[in-house]
Amino acid sequence: MKTTRREILLFAGGSAVGVLMTPAPWRLITDSALWSENWPGIPRPARGAITAKYTNCALCGAGCAVRARCVAEQPVSLAGVAGHPLSHGALCAYGLAGHHLPYHPARVTGGPVEEAAAAVAAAMDRLGENEHVAVLDLRPGRTASWTYRRAMAAVKNGVYVAADGAAAGLAATNAAIDLWKARTVLSLGVPLLEGWGTPGNVMAARAGFHLIQAEAVESRTAAMADQWLRIKAGSEEALGQGILQALGGQTPVAAAEATGIAEQQFLALASELKQNGPALVVGGARSQSAAQLNEALGALGHTIVARREAPVPDGWKKAAPVVDLASVEDGSIRVLLIDESAPGAYLPWSAVEPKLVRDNPLVVTLGWTREGYGRHAQYLLPTGVYPEVADDIPPAVDSVAAAFRMAVPLVQAPEGVVKPEEWIAKAAGLEMADTLRERADAIHKAGRGTLFTYADGKSVATKDVKIGDFWKALEAGGCWMDQAGPAQRPAAVKAAAGATRQSASLADDLPLVAVLTEAPSSPLLSKIYQESNLKLGPKQVAIHPDEARAAGVEDGARALLETLAGRIGVEVRVDASVPRGAVLVASRAAVLDVCGAGVGAKVVRA
Amino acid sequence: MISETKPIHAAKYGMTIDVDRCNGCGACMVACAVENNVPPAHEGATDRKGLTWLRVYKVDNGEEYPDHRTAFVPVMCQQCNRDTPCVHVCPQQAVDLDPATGVVGEMPQRCLGCRYCMAACPYHARYFNWWDPAWPKGMEKTLNPDVTPRMRGVVEKCNFCHGRWHAAKQLAAATGKPAGEPVEYTPACVEACPTGAIRFGDLNNAASEPARAAKQAESFRLLEKLGTETKVYYRSKHEWVREMAHAPRPDQSGKGIARG
Repeated sequence: MKTTRREILLFAGGSAVGVLMTPAPWRLITDSALWSENWPGIPRPARGAITAKYTNCALCGAGCAVRARCVAEQPVSLAGVAGHPLSHGALCAYGLAGHHLPYHPARVTGGPVEEAAAAVAAAMDRLGENEHVAVLDLRPGRTASWTYRRAMAAVKNGVYVAADGAAAGLAATNAAIDLWKARTVLSLGVPLLEGWGTPGNVMAARAGFHLIQAEAVESRTAAMADQWLRIKAGSEEALGQGILQALGGQTPVAAAEATGIAEQQFLALASELKQNGPALVVGGARSQSAAQLNEALGALGHTIVARREAPVPDGWKKAAPVVDLASVEDGSIRVLLIDESAPGAYLPWSAVEPKLVRDNPLVVTLGWTREGYGRHAQYLLPTGVYPEVADDIPPAVDSVAAAFRMAVPLVQAPEGVVKPEEWIAKAAGLEMADTLRERADAIHKAGRGTLFTYADGKSVATKDVKIGDFWKALEAGGCWMDQAGPAQRPAAVKAAAGATRQSASLADDLPLVAVLTEAPSSPLLSKIYQESNLKLGPKQVAIHPDEARAAGVEDGARALLETLAGRIGVEVRVDASVPRGAVLVASRAAVLDVCGAGVGAKVVRA
Repeated sequence: MISETKPIHAAKYGMTIDVDRCNGCGACMVACAVENNVPPAHEGATDRKGLTWLRVYKVDNGEEYPDHRTAFVPVMCQQCNRDTPCVHVCPQQAVDLDPATGVVGEMPQRCLGCRYCMAACPYHARYFNWWDPAWPKGMEKTLNPDVTPRMRGVVEKCNFCHGRWHAAKQLAAATGKPAGEPVEYTPACVEACPTGAIRFGDLNNAASEPARAAKQAESFRLLEKLGTETKVYYRSKHEWVREMAHAPRPDQSGKGIARG
């Protein structure tokens, strides 16, 4: 057979066309394109020496111990410290992503620092006789808090205001809750298993007590409790009063009506609290019932005990007294300085604003984001954020002994941020040195307690450590713990002053049933509220389908949350697990400003 | 000369999750995202378009109060050991079952984004990158150097923290442990769980906690009837929770409402 040139050309041409009909060339093109792509938009993780550093989380009052995995000095992941006597190795979702906060899109890194200082000095000069300069401290009990108290003692009409700490459940600062001694715990709507106290400690002690959760919605605490009492929204106080009556042998008719709980159940509850002791009742900071029940059940001195404060230098004792906001006269604060660099109990602006003078008050807030009081202040001064700044974390409410631990900086703060403690001290004309070091030296001098070091997990008596080594250990993320003394009754445990404001004119309002307190969060927390429905998002409210129909809103719709104190845009989630006649809100400063405690709210179509 | 092939003692890594201990805090979800360089949500991301290698579902028994009960069920790739559906359907051979670890691996560079594997996965544990991964400015400094970020248009899923397994293997090699021997390591979710609900280990090692827990009467696997022999075991003393495992998805058990 003779092959002609024409046939060769035809074969070649046919093959070329035929190959195009197969996946091979197209696959080759695709793969070449994919495999040669360098994806310039995708960041390349930095490389470097891998080390471990230790610190304490400053995102809430728990102060959990943290081990940071660092790559070239930059923390890339955080974990708890196993064997820690307070936090027991636990770290919550917020703490696990705390190293992202310095890069939060809402971060403020610049502000009129000098201008604010001049304005404060001028306002102090023209202070009237009955007018005050005040510092509002969202996390009292720190070393910085002592500086603020000293600063306020040094200026004319200075007042130091401590946020009362709704999460603490107790108004007395020297009182602590010993969960390990309790056999029955009644929680009046407190999120006991959702970040309350020191979460690791609560979890570790959990097996030892029977938990009764009284709450209108099935929160995570209610779901994990041994018994969930589904009470009517906002009736926690009525429940407490009813149990008090039952303890006294009376039939709580009115309380049964108010809470939706049968009278017989009150008697059973009273009996259980009495017989399965030691018992403990945990309520909000303003809960009169919790205080009265604890008194009646003999909890004081047993499950609620006195706690000494960590020693402070003698020279600091000349300080302004600690007062709460309710005890400050309305219209009396001319200059208000707010330290919100350390997150704590946020007081709604509707509670703060009446305390200011009517004509031209000056409000300066020191924080890292505009989300808080920065929306209301004339000046917002940028501060460092965890884990950029050194700050100590006072012991949590469930810590029966004093403790001193610091949030040790893991990364450097940007240029231009101020240290609130230094700025306020300077404004007050107070000379100050390294206060954390001074405090540590005072603790060492007292010689009490033990020092726990994280890297090796060892405890050593304070008196066996040299003063220089003591400070070095604290700087490396160590923790000093006071020795636990005999359980003593705290000096004064009473509910915080200040009546709960109730909705008066909006008779058809839906009561707020839960305000979830959340720590500042990394953008990665979208995993638990945007990319899944595990939690309510910061701008979301949830209502029952019937209420949604009545309000004319659908799931995912934009709406307004309207209260006596104002209105705010929210996204509605329709959820059959929310009881009828209630609205579930997730807290953030803007929402709290219009909600407060116990204020009725309703959702209206946007 | 005849070369001698040393037998490989393959591991079969698995998990046990005590549903009764899970309190739905979400720490495992966040720790997983931190460890595996999963980016924060895009503005348009929802619970259907998000990237959650591990997702905690809230389920209930559908009863009215006071018989109402709720549980939280963490669900990640169940690491099917037999007839692994995603391996079978992948046209790019981007998914494989590692015989040395029993872990179902995903190679994003091979993935063409057809999402057949997502359709095939009975556990809804695979996620598609709808957007370019993006971190707020500066946050890319916190990325884990042991894990490569994935690009838009590919599928990704839990791989029992492959980066940690590699690091453990390197450490074992550095300490003189024979190559091919199973190594011990802890995935990020296990390390982060504050209640100790998630445990991890080698199912081939009868002394490991998952191997022991898997044999308990209260232990169960999701959709066991499919015969995929998954390596994630759950445990609950409540019968209604165990029944939930037969549903196509924990939140579709036909009982009450569920979120997650």
